[in-house]
Amino acid sequence: MTKDIFTYLIGGKAGQGTKKAGIVAANFFSDLKREVFQNNDYPSLIRGGHNFSVVSTSTTKIYSHYMQADLAVVLDQRSYDIHQHHLSAHGVIVYNADKVKGNGIGLPLSSEAKKYENPDLIEGVAGIAVLAAFLNVDTKRLDDIIRQEYGHHVEDNLSYAHTIYKIAQEKLPKKITLKQGDKKHVTLSGSDAIGLGAAAAGLDIYFAYPMTPSTPLLHFFASNGKKLGIITVQPENEIAVANMAIGAACTGARAMVGTSGGGFCLMQEAFSLAGMAEAPVLFCLGQRPGPSTGVPTYTEQAELLFSLYQGQGEFPRIVASPGTIEESFYLAAELLNLVWRFQTPGILLFEKHLSESSMSVVLNAEKTTWAEPLLHKTGDFKRYRITKDGISPLLFPPSESMIKWSSYEHDEQGFTTETADGITQMHEKRLQKQHTLIEELKQMHTVNTFGETELLIFTFGSTTMSVLEALDYAGIKATVIQPIYLQPFPSWEFERYKNKKTIVVEQNSTGQLEQLLREKVGIIPVSSIRQYDGRPFDPVDLATKIKKVT
Amino acid sequence: MDTISTTVENTWCPGCGNFGIVNALKKAVELLEKNGMKRSHLMISSGIGCHGKIFEYVNLNGLYSIHGRSMATVEGMKLGNPALKVVAFAGDGDAYGEGIAHMIFAAKRNADITVIVHNNGAYALTTGQFSPTSKKGFKGPSRPEGNVEDPLNPLSLLLEAGATFVARGYAGKIDHLADLIVKAVTHEGFSIIDVLQPSVVFNNTYKVYNELAEIVPKPAETFEEAMRLTKDMKDRIPIGIFYVVEKPIFHKELMGEWNPVQNKMNREKRIQLIKESI
Repeated sequence: MTKDIFTYLIGGKAGQGTKKAGIVAANFFSDLKREVFQNNDYPSLIRGGHNFSVVSTSTTKIYSHYMQADLAVVLDQRSYDIHQHHLSAHGVIVYNADKVKGNGIGLPLSSEAKKYENPDLIEGVAGIAVLAAFLNVDTKRLDDIIRQEYGHHVEDNLSYAHTIYKIAQEKLPKKITLKQGDKKHVTLSGSDAIGLGAAAAGLDIYFAYPMTPSTPLLHFFASNGKKLGIITVQPENEIAVANMAIGAACTGARAMVGTSGGGFCLMQEAFSLAGMAEAPVLFCLGQRPGPSTGVPTYTEQAELLFSLYQGQGEFPRIVASPGTIEESFYLAAELLNLVWRFQTPGILLFEKHLSESSMSVVLNAEKTTWAEPLLHKTGDFKRYRITKDGISPLLFPPSESMIKWSSYEHDEQGFTTETADGITQMHEKRLQKQHTLIEELKQMHTVNTFGETELLIFTFGSTTMSVLEALDYAGIKATVIQPIYLQPFPSWEFERYKNKKTIVVEQNSTGQLEQLLREKVGIIPVSSIRQYDGRPFDPVDLATKIKKVT
Repeated sequence: MDTISTTVENTWCPGCGNFGIVNALKKAVELLEKNGMKRSHLMISSGIGCHGKIFEYVNLNGLYSIHGRSMATVEGMKLGNPALKVVAFAGDGDAYGEGIAHMIFAAKRNADITVIVHNNGAYALTTGQFSPTSKKGFKGPSRPEGNVEDPLNPLSLLLEAGATFVARGYAGKIDHLADLIVKAVTHEGFSIIDVLQPSVVFNNTYKVYNELAEIVPKPAETFEEAMRLTKDMKDRIPIGIFYVVEKPIFHKELMGEWNPVQNKMNREKRIQLIKESI
């Protein structure tokens, strides 16, 4: 292994501050001008259970965390039992000696914590103190970190951190000094990137009912909306969410909604309404393992086909899935634009692994476009005017001219029609819009390609990051092809990949991307690598699998 | 022809209570305009059913929504541009069946919308099945031997949920209904008018409503008295405004005087703010 990687893992019960410790560690690595990738693993509960956060850092680009920790800090027995198997060749496990029976380095984390108020919550601080000791960070720097990150009960935290730091320094067998990187990066979660991207395109209002893994997006807008001039609304259910967004769109407000599979099921009739009424709304669909309630706080890619085909009737829709956190920023902005230009619903499809992981990013907010629809200027207004490209200019209230949007099949004015000609005319209008959309996509960057070798690896969504990291880690030469747009599917980009040695990597059990490639472009892979255990791929494990099939 | 009617062919059954409602609406819009409201600032929506056709019989801006969702649709319109007045039309199946959650929550949060329910106690457009407000024993093609459920009392429910304007109208008393609509639209907060609407084919209630409908002279002084009015259905059917109260309205609680489409931040400012985050 040539890549300079350091991985820190902290595990404990929910409520012990493991995620926070992961964030603090990531910020510390960023301050060293290193790149980071942070993954948080937690069950669907508030207290107890088993949570852990893994942060991998490198001086070069890093697209995934690694499940081989160089330093693991475990706060309870369950974490020890699980993570003793997650160590790198020279990895060190530090455990809470008051609660864990094990081999490694035991420190009195609980008995020292008991000297302070709120002992359970403070133990995450120990994780940072141990990390500081392991990395030869001096106490002054440790103090700064604690003051900055753990401002609540700061004196207790400082005192506790010092105690643990001293004990750890004595007990740790060896220490490491991390190399500095070249450039300080901002660390951003997928959710924050999506939120900022939509904001950059002119979002006015966000509607959502809480549901993992889209909840962080709701929280992003709730806490940043005021500053950005974006309203956040949490209605009674997903049906209200989608219908309110459509109502808001009729007034010209750029509206977006966020949900997950179950919530999106409830939105289907409204999604279809948006298709018929030609209402521009962007739907953020975060995937977790299904079916049904499934595994709420884990990751999967089993809603690809669902997103392409749900909603009754035929109408244009735009579905796209970002491969990286950086791409989710630009894609959210681009989709908000497209749904307004084409007046049809769009889906930003992502996974828990994208929305709730964080990584170092470089973003240019200027490289986004403000979502502007085609507006009616003069003459008689007809909401569904027949035009050459299928797109009717929009007019918003207050208006003296009549504006009629409709869920019924309608004439140009928006009045219900049941005539054979009328029905045909509007079907053809929507078909024309679809053709125009495809022509537009042909001018756009719809597929990412990484590498130039004969071996082809097809993947999509956040699995792209796992694949890129696995190849980089193991030095495997392959071309990674990631369709960003999934509907309309950019078939024109795939002709050149036919009849070549192909592998498909995805996180579902039935091979949904594989089915799509077969159906749309006739590409049949020689091998498939599928994982459907709720966990993102580990790059080392994935590299082994790729090597095995090539 | 007046300026509010459209040329769309009216397909309601002759004598349907819906005619009374659309006529009252037209009168109400004229009255509202006299009071200073601009028609261009009014937006409507309707659900699906016989009532929904009202959407196309009036020259008013809006969206012909789907079954049970017109209330959510107009809530979204109001949030998008709070300078607009919004009215949702709904049938009893829409408002009290499919969309009951939206009704309860719009009342609970005191969303500044008006809902006019064409309550005929039957699913008429689908040929007469029992509805949430059908009486026990009501016979329809989905329960030929008679409805086995008791009807819902929607106004009691919405009053309890927090509605700040609760009224009942009757499609047979057009001027009275027009006055209710004017007051409901003018009211700041959630206003509901449950309109007794005879369906000449599926549930012809003209006789009983003509006999029992009794205008209450003024709203109840107390919540409890209003609640009694909503339940007083034995020897008379009270119509009129049962309850009006001022309470903070949802969009103002949520965003103060901010108007998302009128106060929209320009791109430069937005991008500058985003740059600070990244």
